[in-house]
Amino acid sequence: MRAPYDRAMEILTPTPMDRGLLRLMQVRGAMAGLVLLAAAAVGEVFVDEVTPMPTGLLLGVALLILVYLAVLAPPRRFRAWGYGIDGEELQVRRGVWVRVHTVVPLDHVQHIDVSQGPLERAFGICSLVLHTAGTLHSQIVLPGLARPTAEEIRDEIRSRIREESA
Amino acid sequence: MSDGADRRLHPGTIALRFIKEAPQTLLALPAALAFSSKTGLSGALYLAAGLAVALLAVKWLVWRRFKYGVGAAEIVIESGVLNRNRRSIPFDRVQDVDIERTFLARLFGLAKVRIETGAGGKDEGLLDSVSLAEANRLREAVRAGCAGIAPAAGATEAEGPIQSILFAMEPPRVILSGLFNFSLVYIAGLFAILQTFDSVLPFDIYNPARWLGLVDEFLPARWTLGAIAALLLVAAVLGAIAGVLQTLARDFGFRLSLEGDRLRREQGLFTRKEAVISRRRVQLAEVSGGPVRGLFGWSGLSFQTLGAGTDRGGHQSAAPFATRSEIEAVLAEVPPLRLPPPPELIQVSRRHILRKVAGTGVPALIVIATLSYWQPFAPALLALLPLLAAAAALERRFHRYAIGDGLLFVSRGVWRRRLWLIPIARVQSLSLSSGPIQRRLGLATLAIDTAGAAMINAPRIVDLRSEAAEALAVEISRLRRSAVIASEAKQSSSEAEAAGLLRNDG
Repeated sequence: MRAPYDRAMEILTPTPMDRGLLRLMQVRGAMAGLVLLAAAAVGEVFVDEVTPMPTGLLLGVALLILVYLAVLAPPRRFRAWGYGIDGEELQVRRGVWVRVHTVVPLDHVQHIDVSQGPLERAFGICSLVLHTAGTLHSQIVLPGLARPTAEEIRDEIRSRIREESA
Repeated sequence: MSDGADRRLHPGTIALRFIKEAPQTLLALPAALAFSSKTGLSGALYLAAGLAVALLAVKWLVWRRFKYGVGAAEIVIESGVLNRNRRSIPFDRVQDVDIERTFLARLFGLAKVRIETGAGGKDEGLLDSVSLAEANRLREAVRAGCAGIAPAAGATEAEGPIQSILFAMEPPRVILSGLFNFSLVYIAGLFAILQTFDSVLPFDIYNPARWLGLVDEFLPARWTLGAIAALLLVAAVLGAIAGVLQTLARDFGFRLSLEGDRLRREQGLFTRKEAVISRRRVQLAEVSGGPVRGLFGWSGLSFQTLGAGTDRGGHQSAAPFATRSEIEAVLAEVPPLRLPPPPELIQVSRRHILRKVAGTGVPALIVIATLSYWQPFAPALLALLPLLAAAAALERRFHRYAIGDGLLFVSRGVWRRRLWLIPIARVQSLSLSSGPIQRRLGLATLAIDTAGAAMINAPRIVDLRSEAAEALAVEISRLRRSAVIASEAKQSSSEAEAAGLLRNDG
């Protein structure tokens, strides 16, 4: 369900992120879950000597967390992300627990980064980072854009900045 | 787009960074190994040599992947070994180019170039390091690129600025303001000093018998009501004196004067400090006060400015202790800032109280429940819970906002009362957020981001009804757009006027 404020703030229909982001979130979740699982496996061996505990309790809990991190959480988080751009403002919404809707006036953008980590590269996506002079959110990160989309947005914002000063 | 980024940093950078990091990486690890294992000195030397080669290789790789260039309208910096990052900084966003030379860099004939954009991040455009000649070339190139947008700082100086004093504090006013800066921190400070000389002092400062003994000498019975009152009185007097002395040292001879496009502030008893506040760089104003000060009509005014070059920006006090009319007089010189007429401000949602109580009351309940397990008297603490609600209600009373004349007003705080005056055209970004509890109650928080502030001071409107929050965000966004259009029109018409010709904007 959508938080009520989305209605009025929806000046633009939010564009969902590239599907690659979902896959990236799943892989990251799985990686974190696996680390936890490995730790639980080690714990299973040693904890048993200290306090009697039902065998497999730690492993079971870790497995549940793994399922949550890798399977249940990513689609919700992915669906929470969305953005819109109208030549004046970039709007980003995100967050499942704490929902955040950020509006960035494009003429206040100081500079723009397009960055891509090894995992992101594997899924064919990259992040657009807008730097503003603000201090609360001096960086607005928009992850999970296909490279051409990210470059398109970057060029649009760049031309907008130039226009502003011309 | 691969234009621009055609230059690398000076190769000496590799050596410079290598030397900088050598002590930690090359000495610490092999030394630790040599001590702990039986490899001995030769083994440690081999290890150090191996590490040195690896470190040099990494430094070389980082250097190799770092490229920059000055294009027609922007500076491009490409960096990163694994994460490739391409940063474009448009010329008209550049505030200043700083050249910094440390001692080590001087030995190599290198210089660190920092391109200041006024963005919050610190490493926005750092070229570490290039040759001095290249640094000067870069500065010239960037300044030439920005020419016309930011006039040289020396230009206004040469015209012979006309000064007029906007605000000044006479010594009695400074002393009065010092009384409100009442502080007990200095007593703690005194103890800290005593502690450092602890071994030299003939008595133990932490021996309570000693302190009680001191009281005994003056008073017949310990801990009578009178003794406690006397102690508190002494503490209060000491605190007041400390506050007055500190304020005198800082604000003696405080003077704010108007000088062309800038405000000049002078203050201080022992060290006279001078600061310049560019009126165009003022991002917002903050009026701060307290309950007692407010009763007598006193409050302080400070500006938040965007830093550039040597002027670091941040919080700039403009009138530490002034009446409402004095503050109005200063604000009149920094349009569009003005004080709001009091009835204009609206309170946040009544549910703010509920949310606060849910936020603080639930943990309090848990603590009380846990305590009652051991302490039979703990449930009596439940009687204190209504206090939380009362505190929340008081907080809401002072948390207000309003929009008007291109300004957003936000006030918050019971003990430290703040009123922010934010020109809507200066809003950097808007953020609406709502957590799980807020969503249940239909509330949202609107955070307004402005340039140059410390994060803790950022104005926020907490717990608006979510429809009101949306409406406010949309309204700010709309006003901002029209303000930008208006300022553009004004700017282009004044430019045309100055050039003596009408320009046709295509």
